[in-house]
Amino acid sequence: MTKILNMFIVACLTFMVYIIFTGSSSVYDLVTGFIVALIVGALFSNITLSNALKVLEPRRWYYLLRYAIRYFIIDETLAHVDVIKRILNPRMPVNPAIVKVPYNVETDYAKTCIACSITNTPGTVVVEIDENEKSFYIHWIDAKTLEPEKAREYISMVFEKYSRKIFD
Amino acid sequence: MKLAELTLLVTLILSLALMLTFAYNYLAPTPEVRNLALFYLITTYNPQLPYYTVNSPEAVTAIVWDYRGLDTLFETAVFYLALIAGLALARRLYRENPVSFLSTNGGLSIIVKTVTKITSPMIIAVGASIGLHGHLTPGGGFQGGATIAVAPMVIIITFSVFYLLTRKVTTEKMLLIRSIGLIGIGLTAISVFIIGLAAGRLAFVFQNMPKANAPMGLPGQVNGVLISGTLWFFNLFEMLAVAAGFTMAFAVLMLAGKER
Repeated sequence: MTKILNMFIVACLTFMVYIIFTGSSSVYDLVTGFIVALIVGALFSNITLSNALKVLEPRRWYYLLRYAIRYFIIDETLAHVDVIKRILNPRMPVNPAIVKVPYNVETDYAKTCIACSITNTPGTVVVEIDENEKSFYIHWIDAKTLEPEKAREYISMVFEKYSRKIFD
Repeated sequence: MKLAELTLLVTLILSLALMLTFAYNYLAPTPEVRNLALFYLITTYNPQLPYYTVNSPEAVTAIVWDYRGLDTLFETAVFYLALIAGLALARRLYRENPVSFLSTNGGLSIIVKTVTKITSPMIIAVGASIGLHGHLTPGGGFQGGATIAVAPMVIIITFSVFYLLTRKVTTEKMLLIRSIGLIGIGLTAISVFIIGLAAGRLAFVFQNMPKANAPMGLPGQVNGVLISGTLWFFNLFEMLAVAAGFTMAFAVLMLAGKER
């Protein structure tokens, strides 16, 4: 049962990508897309997903939408403005360091979401993840602190809060 | 010394330019060739010329699999002979015994692995779309198959080749799919000939649409959906064969190790 649900979700993703990439929704595209989606869904049902029931919870989609809007409008803009200021400033005020930042989420998807959110904002890049110590190693263009817990507040608190609600 | 080098260099460049100027007449296509290109462009999808058209709006695929189909068949044969030779060379060098290598800690970090898990189905969807629309838009079986093969390649790099093998994506299965693809290409090539034989009419190997002297052919459309006769089947089978062939080659490359 879980396998069929997993397969269905992966097939939906595949079908969507197929139709969007094709750029047309004639009968031919729908039929071939359906067949391709079924095959790919069966192949990847146990690889892509482990708990497909989470995908069907509307609460998670609500937080995903809220997070997407907040991330792309507020967090991205602030980070861009900060880095642009540093580039345009003739004294180039950078203070780079690699800091250790702990995280407190369980699933792989949540960890990936936090890591990608951090890397996608200019100024911070995740260079390594240590799953035993539950922490990222982050290269930070302006290391305000080297304390792991304080760095977490500066860098990843918001991302973590939303990632936990979306994926955990 | 410096002057001598400079003189030599200038002389070389100038003589090369002179040679190119004279050779241009022979290297550059003459305007007569344009009539040939014009013929392809006019006939590739033209319902008003039923005995000339291929019923495919994509002229490249029409040329590759119809106008010069035999050439492409041999190209495909050369590609697969090369693959077979590669596998034959590696036959004693790899073993498929994933149990002793099975480990979840190998490969790249969990971040890359999770992204790979999401993007792999999307890569295959894009590849299948390229392959299955080869008779309509740029692309085709080879391009689609090569795109699909990116997914196992990425999985081999981020996880390990044994991750593929424990998921039952073995080289034997890839060989089977590749063989099905090749047999399909061969059968498609002679399909119209066999139909003609059964109907007792004149038909040719590698014929696609009906011709004036050979009225047999595959349909250009099915229920109003354009499939361009044999082109759709060629693209489908080529996609299967290329995807499986590349996957097998990647897996064998990564499996090569010492014998115990």
